[in-house]
Parts: sequence; C-alpha cells; structure tokens
Amino acid sequence: MTAQSFAVVSHGLTKRYAGVEVVSEASFALPTASKIALLGPNGAGKSTLLGMLSSLITPTDGDASIAGYPLRINPPALRRQIGVLGHLPMVYEELSPLENLEFFARLYEVPNPDARVEQLLRTVGLWRRRREPTQVFSRGFHQRLALARAVLHHPTLMLLDEPETGLDPAGVELLDELVMRDPNVTVLAATHLVERTAQWAHGLLRLERGRVIEAPAMPPTVAASTVGATL
Amino acid sequence: MSAVATQTPENCPAALTSVLRGILALFLWATLPLYNARWTLLPALTGVAMMAMLVGAVIAAPREVIEGDVQRLMYIHVPSASAGTYFAFLIAAASSAAFLISRDIRWDAVARSAATVGVLFTVITLATGAIWGKPIWGVYWTWDARLTSTLVLLLIYTAYLLARSVAGPNDEQAARYSAIFALIGFLDIPLIHFSVDWWRTLHPQRIIFDPRPAVPGEMLLVLLIAFIAITLLMLWLVALRSDTEQLVQRTDRMRARLDQREPA
Amino acid sequence: MFRKDFQLAWRDRTGWLSAFAFAAISILVYSFAFDLAATDVRPLLPGVLWTTFLFVGIFANGQSFQREADAGTFDAMMIAPVSPSTIFFGKVITNLVALVLIELALLVLATMLFDTVLLTAELILVVAIGTTGYVSLTTLLSTLGSRARARAVLLPVLALPLLVPLLIAGVRATGVALDEPVGSAPWMLLLSMFALWATVGGALLFPLAVER
Repeated sequence: MTAQSFAVVSHGLTKRYAGVEVVSEASFALPTASKIALLGPNGAGKSTLLGMLSSLITPTDGDASIAGYPLRINPPALRRQIGVLGHLPMVYEELSPLENLEFFARLYEVPNPDARVEQLLRTVGLWRRRREPTQVFSRGFHQRLALARAVLHHPTLMLLDEPETGLDPAGVELLDELVMRDPNVTVLAATHLVERTAQWAHGLLRLERGRVIEAPAMPPTVAASTVGATL
Repeated sequence: MSAVATQTPENCPAALTSVLRGILALFLWATLPLYNARWTLLPALTGVAMMAMLVGAVIAAPREVIEGDVQRLMYIHVPSASAGTYFAFLIAAASSAAFLISRDIRWDAVARSAATVGVLFTVITLATGAIWGKPIWGVYWTWDARLTSTLVLLLIYTAYLLARSVAGPNDEQAARYSAIFALIGFLDIPLIHFSVDWWRTLHPQRIIFDPRPAVPGEMLLVLLIAFIAITLLMLWLVALRSDTEQLVQRTDRMRARLDQREPA
Repeated sequence: MFRKDFQLAWRDRTGWLSAFAFAAISILVYSFAFDLAATDVRPLLPGVLWTTFLFVGIFANGQSFQREADAGTFDAMMIAPVSPSTIFFGKVITNLVALVLIELALLVLATMLFDTVLLTAELILVVAIGTTGYVSLTTLLSTLGSRARARAVLLPVLALPLLVPLLIAGVRATGVALDEPVGSAPWMLLLSMFALWATVGGALLFPLAVER
C-alpha cells in the first residue's frame, strides 16, 4: 500500500435533511499531517461535515476515504484512526476521569493502557483528582478530559468542532501541545477564532451554505482508485 | 473481531442486501402497472364491486333465520377484519421494510397511509362486531380471541401513527424508527394470536362467532363479492392517502429550501 | 462494555432504588385496590407481579437511555470501533441484571406480604426469561429520539401493546410454577420464543435504529 499523501479525500459528500442540503457536494483533500482550519459562518454546515467525517452522520450522497479506508463501509479500523472533540464532552459524568479513560482505552484497545492513561491525565492536570466523579469538575476541566479522551488512542486524524470553547489559556496551550503541534496527526478544526489560525493552520477549508468555497487541495482525479480501495 | 467481513453500515452482509433489493425490484415491477392505473382502473373497479356488495348484502342475500337483518353486517365485518386490517397492515409493514432498505422517504408515506387505512378498518371491524353482537348476544364486547387480537393490533398501529406524527413528514430518523416499529408490530402478530387464543381457551366460551359451519351458497357468494370490494376499497384508500402524504412531503421540502434561501 | 454499563448502573443506584420503590409501592396499591388481604391471593399474584415488572422495566429503561443521549456519550459509542450490536447487548445485559435483582427483591417482599412461597427455581426461571424478552424490546424501543417531546409517555404506549404476548405468557407460566390451574398450553415455550424473537430482532434492528 502506498503511503497516503492525503489523510482525507472527499468526493461530493452531501447531507440532506428534509429536502435541505446542509452540506452540498463537498469535494476536497487534506494532506497528511497538515493542520486545516474549517471556517464559515453559522449554519454553513461545518458541524455536519465533521459529523460525516467522524462516521457519526451517514452521508446522503458522495463518499470519502479516511486514511485509506472508505467512509461508506465504515470498518472499525477507520474509526480507530479518528479522534473527535465536539461541543459535548462525551464523557460519563458519573464516572471519574480515571474510569472514563480506562473505559475508552479498553474500547479502543490501546496498548499499555495504564501507562497511557496516566501520562495523559498528568499532562492535562487531572491526575491528582483522577478519582472524583466527573460531574464535579468545571467546564474547563471537562473539556480537558474530553481532549484526553480524544487523543487517547493515538488517532491519525483529529476532527475538532470549536475546541477552544471552555478552555482557559493553559488549556489552549494543552490543545496545541497535544494536537496542533503533533507532527503525526492530520487536523481539521472548525473554529471561530480566525486570528488564532495563523498560529497553527497550514491551510483553510471554507464552507458557505454547505458548499466548499475554498479548499487546501482538490481530490486527485485519479482518486477513483483511492476511494474505492477496500479491504 | 470480524474486521475481515465486509460490513455495510447497516450491519447487513452485502449478499443479503442485494437479495432484498432484488426482491424489492421484482415487487415494484409486478405492482407498477397496477399502481399507474390507480386513478383510472382502481376507482372504477372499486365502485362496481362496492355496488355489487351493497346490492348483494342488502337485497339479494337471504335473510338469516335466527339473527335477522342485523346479520347482514357480516358482509362488512368479516372482510373488513381480514382484508381491511391484516392486508393493510401487511402493506404497512412491507412498505416500512422497503423504506429501511431503500431509504426513500416516499415509502414512509405509503406505510403511514396503509397504517391509517388499517386503523380505520380495524375500528369498523370492532364497531360492526359490537353492533352485530348486541342484539344477538346482549353484549357489545366478548373477549373472543379474534376480537381481542384485533384490539391489540389497533393499539399497536395507533401507537405507530402517534409516534410517527410527532416528527415532521421528512424526518428520516423518525421515519426509520417508526418503520422498525411497524415491522416489529407485524411480526408480533403470530405471537399475539397464540397467546390470546390460548388465554381464551382457559375460560368456557359462549357460542360466539362460529356459526359458520353451514353458510348457504348464496351467502358465500355475496361474502366473496364483499371481500373483493373491501380489498379494492382498502387499496384505493391507501393509494389516495399515500399520494396526499407524498405531496405533503414535497411541499415540506420546498418550504425548507425556500427558508434556506431567505437570508440572502 | 459490560463493565462500563455496570459501573454506570452502580453509580446511578439511586435511580434503580427509586425504580424498586416504585415497584414496591405498586404492589401495595394493588393490595389495596383488589383487597389482597382478604381474598385468596394466589390466582391474582402472577398478574400483580407481571404488571409491576413491566411498568418498572419500561420506566427504568427509558431513563438510562435518556441520560446517555443527553451527555453525548452515546455519540462517543457510535464513533468508537465497536459494533452497535455490542452496544445493544451491553445495555440489555446490564438492564437485565438490574431488573432481575429488583424482581427478586419484589418476590421476597411478596412472599412476606402474602404468605406464599415464591422463590422457587421454576418461578425464577420464568421471571428471568420473561425479563429478557421485555428488556430486549424496550432497549430497542428506547432509541426513540431524545428530542421527541412526549417521549416519556410515548414509550409505554409503544411498548405495552407489543408486549401483550409476553404478559399473557408470563402470567400463565408463573401460574404454572405456582401450581395454579392454567390449562395445558405450552406457556413456557411461548415465553421463550418471545424472548428469543425480541432479542434477535432487537440485535438486528438496533444498528438501523441508532443511525443518523
């Protein structure tokens, strides 16, 4: 298998809800290890696009290949490559940070789970309070735990939906350290903090009314073979 | 972990999905001419059959000795019970399955319509049963196995309609959930039958709707005509209603698209 | 997967305790309403027990799903490399264990209240199989979107008609276990068939139901 020069190749991804195309014919390619900012006004379809790429939302039309795996078929191996940080923290309130990460480590079959969990908890500053139930923590710490959960399994693609919300400057620094400055990770992050993108983004993916109006790269025309590459 | 097996997002093996699509295509090919004729042939046939049924039931059929004219309700009650309800709910379940396979929201419209018509005929069945029953046996309701099963069926598909109408006409996720419910509801029927039937055998039965050991020839003929008439009526109503539903869906989509364009 | 659901259930034990309280109160309500103190209780007991089980089950199942959906953790399950069927079975087994425990506690309570022996192996088996049936079905049905407004009321309306065969067979099979005259129909077989049908159907349809 050739080394993937593009981590994500999207061909005409479309999502229709009740007749309205929230995302229309999105075609673009994200070079491997690049950090791309997803920009656009509210309602442009950013969250839906991220939802489709993370396999949470089934596309109405079109296809994409992520790390070589076809999105439509959605094999478990594809989901192992993806880390997601969204609006909701997606952690269990009744469980402690330690239990949460241990659970997700088991779910993703992370090698050396205990070491990895400890390393991340220390990095995000939750180690000392690791046994308290998550619901007592502030929003900022929720977000930090969510960040830890997202990178726990060493994903090669990070999909972020406004990740800076709820994070204090130290938290944003953690985000940069764990995600934005990691050379092995491709990042697609929707954000409203346009000025900050100068610090971490290599390119832009711009959406308006569901359509891609600016992309870091177009999908290669030879792409039929890339997208069709199955197991 | 079965990372090797090809898994579609529906978790159905690819072969099974292809077979199901094939069956769906065959079904469509067979019924399409009938469907296209629904504004011409179907109403005409229905009209003729209904007239025949009415003439037969009211005039031509012999007057039943013991029960009198009330017994003529049988010509509505029996066909309604079988063709009107079960066949209609079968259509609802089949359309639901078609929707789940094809993801075309129009099948959801058909399913809803079939369920609505089915509920209508179920009420007719129960009502005619009550009207027939009162003069004959003195009660509106007996816990007869068939009647009780029909009542449960009514509850199931009423619940279906309720659940589906909570969401919009084009809401795919709600339609998917409802389709699953309609399908499960239909598959539950044999289990309902057995359980209610065995339950009723625990208790000594009155002599109920079973005086059908000896139905004279003429009555049988009228019954057959009634059966055909009710079936046609049911099909026509389903066709009418599902066209309306689909129009509603299209209007809703258009409205949504207009709304999207508003903020220029 | 099971461990997570168990941990969650344990943490939320107040919720389950309320469910048990609700069930216990139901039994008392039935006692008052049907004068179970005076009349010979045994013929009525299976019915009282099963109606209570069903209501508790529907109530509890709806709750647990609601909370997962709210926190967004259900999305976390969907993007994880685990099949939806696994998620289904995880939920079913956890709810099954929790409900069977509640039901056993109720049986003990009923034994004391009505002075009849209830904790026989046969009866417990009936209860276990029946519970499997309704837990599978309600787990599938609880995927009703969390945004649906009348959700809490809708769930029983949807579940109970489908559960009629289970109720009938469960009550009669319990009667058999208590040596009540319930005819010769193979109730246990029907009960097991229903449980099997509900579980298989649930597992097959759950992935479709949670798709977005």
